[in-house]
Amino acid sequence: MIEAALPGADVDVIDETGAGDHLLATVTAPQFEGLSRIDQHRLVKSAVVDRFEDGQIHALSIRTSVPAR
Amino acid sequence: MSDPQLKSKVEELIAGHPVLLFMKGTPEAPRCGFSMRVVQVLDTMDVDYGAIDVLPALQPLREVTAEISDWQTFPQLYVNGKLVGGADIVDEMYESGELAAALGVEQPADTVQAPPPRQSPPGQSPPLQIE
Repeated sequence: MIEAALPGADVDVIDETGAGDHLLATVTAPQFEGLSRIDQHRLVKSAVVDRFEDGQIHALSIRTSVPAR
Repeated sequence: MSDPQLKSKVEELIAGHPVLLFMKGTPEAPRCGFSMRVVQVLDTMDVDYGAIDVLPALQPLREVTAEISDWQTFPQLYVNGKLVGGADIVDEMYESGELAAALGVEQPADTVQAPPPRQSPPGQSPPLQIE
């Protein structure tokens, strides 16, 4: 889902509790270049908002970075 | 649509505090692990900050911050009138030194939080002495 919203992104999602609803997403995406961290997180959150609304995800921790050049 | 009175109150608070934290609970008694993390970071940075407990009006405040900052989860840290982020972002920015820069303070020398001092478990017998 995140990869579809951010083409070219490198996404790694870890299930922190084993129950599948508390996730940690580490996202490296070229789209983050020049954005503040809060805007980077907004992009990731907006990509998964549907899963929050249908209750499949309760908590998502996010780590973002811009790919090294 | 959020409560307009609450919204203007929140805007006033954000404008009136260079560093303002919306959190669950109070800095002395955080009621959520994420809020506690941000409090610990701010305390480590040794900055003065205002803290608002959102729990008494959680849903109305979510609606207000959604409008003001496009962000609905707490904690939320505002610096100079702008939302910096929640616990994840504060952690990342603390570790990278960006938070110290945003707050205009020096990065604490010890960037990794020191483990609590080791204490002997209660009830342990004193070390044996050679007589």
